[in-house]
Amino acid sequence: MDEQARAILQRVIRKIPNKKLQTALRAWDHLSSEQLESLDYAQPKWLFLENLISRCEENRLSLKDVTKLEMAYYIDNPSKGTWHAYQLFQAEGDAVSVNFTQFREQLKAHLKDVVRHVSVRTKKLEDGAVWIRIAWGDNFSKPNHLKPTYVVHYLQTSYVFVLNLMSKHKPFLYQALLLSTRHVSIKEAQLSSRSLTAMRDLLMRQYQQVFPTNQERTLKERNAPPSHPSIEKEHAECAERRHQMACEAFGDGVLPKLETAVYKLETKYRGNSNNTLNDKDELFRGVVMFSSSNLLESFRHCVSAGMAEGPVTPLLSSITQKGRNSFVITDKVPGAASQTPAHKA
Amino acid sequence: MALLTPYSKIPELNTATVLLVENEEQFQSRLADAIVQQEKDINVNVRLARKLPLPVENSETRPRIDLVVFIVNLLSERSLQAAESSLSHLGPDYFLGKLCFLVTDARCGAVPQERLLSVRRLAASHHCPVIYAEHQTEDGITMTAMRVLTILKVSAGLSPVATTALYLSTFTRCTFPSDFDED
Repeated sequence: MDEQARAILQRVIRKIPNKKLQTALRAWDHLSSEQLESLDYAQPKWLFLENLISRCEENRLSLKDVTKLEMAYYIDNPSKGTWHAYQLFQAEGDAVSVNFTQFREQLKAHLKDVVRHVSVRTKKLEDGAVWIRIAWGDNFSKPNHLKPTYVVHYLQTSYVFVLNLMSKHKPFLYQALLLSTRHVSIKEAQLSSRSLTAMRDLLMRQYQQVFPTNQERTLKERNAPPSHPSIEKEHAECAERRHQMACEAFGDGVLPKLETAVYKLETKYRGNSNNTLNDKDELFRGVVMFSSSNLLESFRHCVSAGMAEGPVTPLLSSITQKGRNSFVITDKVPGAASQTPAHKA
Repeated sequence: MALLTPYSKIPELNTATVLLVENEEQFQSRLADAIVQQEKDINVNVRLARKLPLPVENSETRPRIDLVVFIVNLLSERSLQAAESSLSHLGPDYFLGKLCFLVTDARCGAVPQERLLSVRRLAASHHCPVIYAEHQTEDGITMTAMRVLTILKVSAGLSPVATTALYLSTFTRCTFPSDFDED
């Protein structure tokens, strides 16, 4: 193992918590089971690392294999950073027939065309996700393996999820993705989250949705008898309606775990109380950010508990309907500013 | 606007009805369960509502309500506002000992002191008692249920020893207590 490989291995091992070391090394699948058993996972990291390096040298592992370890760890623990979603538009005729081998070869070739030093590693998982790890260099420097970009794409879908992409590398990645997936344009989908699965579920609609058509059925199902005959709810019908409204906007059952939603206001200030703000012609800029450990769940609860007024404003419901969590609100939409709820979920 | 009045309906034999009003609807159902389970001698009906006025559709089936309890969760400003705005939908007879406030989370350190003061001021100005309740433990809920039941029995006229207004006045502070100014 050369110096660089060791440095990268050290970085990777440092990132992995002690508890997860064993599973990560097993997922890596580059050490024999005897070697894995001979390692002591309770050792301090530096000592463990020395032992690990000696095992790796026995197996003549190289930098390439070390990057595979990092990738395996990220695949098992995708919530290690903020992922951004991108959407591909205007598929060409042969977009549906792109297969993994073809995609991989083309992506590598296109990236190498524009950036001379770049290291690309790909892996296709059983659920169809293609994971791509890109270490960028430029014409004069070797690929920087310390800050790789991760890209996840499901073939034949129009969404790409990207982690750790620097803006100077954006055009290269855009171009390579477009050419290898046979699309004409790509755009940011205005959705970011720490949880890759949540974004995937939200964009590909893999969560339990409620449609207005089955309203009657769900209403009847949910009309559970009260716990005691002498307890009666005065507002039972209201509660049902609110719950239904919440479910129509945010879905029923387990929801994708989004953490934040950001609304940038570029509207004029409208209010009665403050004349100094009211009279101005310029825009009253502001950012409203909602954050919660499970944002959609919180919204749904707020609406169904009556804390937020129903019906759900399109500003909130478009998180699920459009699959975005970053919005810019301008004055073109009438009443947009006044609809924005001021409370925090 | 339909006022809720205590004497417009005929009372049923051996029956008392309490209306729990809470904007958040979190504590009321647990309290209702505790109340219903505790009382074995008389029939207790519990009605749960978020706010007053009550929906007109239910007015036919609704029994005569003997006691109104406003549950105010001190952690939420809205809870107090809802209780305050609901007060105007009550008939004047309720203010003669058929109304009480129940405050939760009063011991929580994060609660602004002014909020508790304004609840006490609101209660004092309507000559109503304030009950402080612990809603996080089973014991606390049982205790609260017992206290609500005691008041309910008196205000429904089921207790032979006391009349409502006299009984409630024993734990009502009708003037602003002097410690309001000192706080």
